[in-house]
Amino acid sequence: MAEAGTFITLGLLFLAFYFEVFLLVSFLERQFGLRTAAPAKKPVVFPKVAIVVPCFNEERTVGKSLLSLLALAYPKEKLEILVIDDGSTDDTYETALRYTNDPRVRVFRKENGGKHTALNFALARTDAELIGCLDADSMVDQHALERIASGFENPRVAAVTPGIHVDAPRTLIQHLQYVEYRLSVFNRYAFAGLGSIFITPGPFSIFRASAIRDIGGWRHGHSTEDMELGLRLQSAGWTITNDPLATVYTKTPESLRTLIRQRVRWSYGFLKNVFDYRHMIGNPKYGNLGLIILPAALVSFGAGLYFAGRFFFYLIRSAADTTSHYLATGIEPWQSFDPLFALNTSFLWITVYATVAMTVVLISLGTYLSTGKRYPPVATPLFLALYSFIVPLWLGIALVRAVLNTGVRWR
Amino acid sequence: MDNETPGEARKARWLTYVIAFGITTIIFGTALYVSNYFNDVRAAEIRAAQDNISIDILSIETQFDLLAEQSCRDISESSVLSTELRSIAERLSYLESQTGVNVEELTSLKRYYSLLQIKDLLLMQRVSEKCRLNPVFILYFYSNEGDCEACEDQGDILTELSRSYPQLRVYSFDYNLSVSPLRTLININNIEKDLPALVIKEEVYYGFRSVDDIKQILPELATLQMATSTRAATGTKAR
Repeated sequence: MAEAGTFITLGLLFLAFYFEVFLLVSFLERQFGLRTAAPAKKPVVFPKVAIVVPCFNEERTVGKSLLSLLALAYPKEKLEILVIDDGSTDDTYETALRYTNDPRVRVFRKENGGKHTALNFALARTDAELIGCLDADSMVDQHALERIASGFENPRVAAVTPGIHVDAPRTLIQHLQYVEYRLSVFNRYAFAGLGSIFITPGPFSIFRASAIRDIGGWRHGHSTEDMELGLRLQSAGWTITNDPLATVYTKTPESLRTLIRQRVRWSYGFLKNVFDYRHMIGNPKYGNLGLIILPAALVSFGAGLYFAGRFFFYLIRSAADTTSHYLATGIEPWQSFDPLFALNTSFLWITVYATVAMTVVLISLGTYLSTGKRYPPVATPLFLALYSFIVPLWLGIALVRAVLNTGVRWR
Repeated sequence: MDNETPGEARKARWLTYVIAFGITTIIFGTALYVSNYFNDVRAAEIRAAQDNISIDILSIETQFDLLAEQSCRDISESSVLSTELRSIAERLSYLESQTGVNVEELTSLKRYYSLLQIKDLLLMQRVSEKCRLNPVFILYFYSNEGDCEACEDQGDILTELSRSYPQLRVYSFDYNLSVSPLRTLININNIEKDLPALVIKEEVYYGFRSVDDIKQILPELATLQMATSTRAATGTKAR
């Protein structure tokens, strides 16, 4: 039993490590090989862009998002901003109206119907070539849009995703996400190199409007419309790219409770959408996405739960052993603790150390790609120590809810 | 930004898959090698320590043969059971808990360890007889084949006792080990396979015994010097 467990653990560690190495090798091939990533240049022709700000009770944050959009370095006549108040019950609409003295801003009010309805509402009311979305809790760097717009010179590109950062982390949970987002920057960039981005994140992903119309606009997508759309674009053969230097800052959950709620929604949406698009998994027609990216995402979901289950099983068993031992012998557990023996050099642990070291490399690369800095964030050790224990919380909840088909809500 | 033709990026490049697999295999292979290396180093440490002890024992035996009774004082003051012998038990029990350790090597180390303990026991008895000492020692028989639940606790109790009383000698033996002198020792003392078993003052006690039980059986413990620090001696942690 224990042997089988060790075997499964080693197998999963091998797969996890293989995936990290695969991403790194692809990245290096892209950096140093023929497939050089050309630096973003200013577009020759600036296409007309519509940025949608879908709002539901965002009176406190919508102003800040609008100011960052109005500060974008992009020709004024080529930019329009559509604020869609999705049936707010607070003063979002009135707050947004204050910005309409700028001709670029238009504000609409509709009945509440969810984010995807707000985006489709805007899609029907614009003739812009590109359409994007900025959640009301996010802000953009002023050069983000011109960088992203240059990505559409390739006619097969349907979407360009930005480099997303945690805005002003304050709490421990936000600092952990700060590191996690750096890892995501690397992953997204590496996935783009493999033509396999399957999520077009809410904060400032920009789309070719004609492509979105072709495939039928936004859908509910199990409350993760950004993943559903990414998969649908991939399924239809469109290309999604990434520019890590197109910087967006987003507000992230402050507490464990709100983080879990957000991530349950993401994980639930992942399971449901991947199930809906299961024809892509393992399908060579979809190249790297079908052959490695989607399978790896599913395996890591399972592995996260398996490792956590195994860890807590051993933790509880060892606690029970220590307690019964103490009760039988009266010897306090720390008396027999020897730090030299604590450094475990078994095969299993060395592979764990290697996987952790590789993760640090990827976080550092994500940091370098998006900020030019060479060192990972200071909270990286905390992230490595704590995050794998909290991730299984939402994976578990999401799995149960997906199996029971409960649905998830935005808030 | 990618400037390549549409769809090309997504096309699987098999070489990348193969290279990544090669690197992963090499790193995992290295991990296996490193872990075996550390286990070998530990085994070599134990072997070296055991060699030292066997030299110690041989030299004390020789000294004992050479000198007459008037030197009893010197001998009784020197610790026959060196602290190294005690720490070997801990290292052995660590190696036993590791997967991927060479089982034959480990068994051979354990057999050697048992022999050293028996030699130490005999020498101590000889010294005590000649010098009229009253040695305080415990023979402990255990099994780690899963048929002795109390053995771990009993081992720790004895470790704790020998930490508190550095002069107390605890000889621990794996009941299942096939070493002829050990079989003889088991036969002489009539020890049945009802473990854990303790032999104290030629009497066999079966089942778990707490610190208080042992103090009751062995009142001489109270006459021994207490350790000034809990780390004064590393005890025999037998499982």
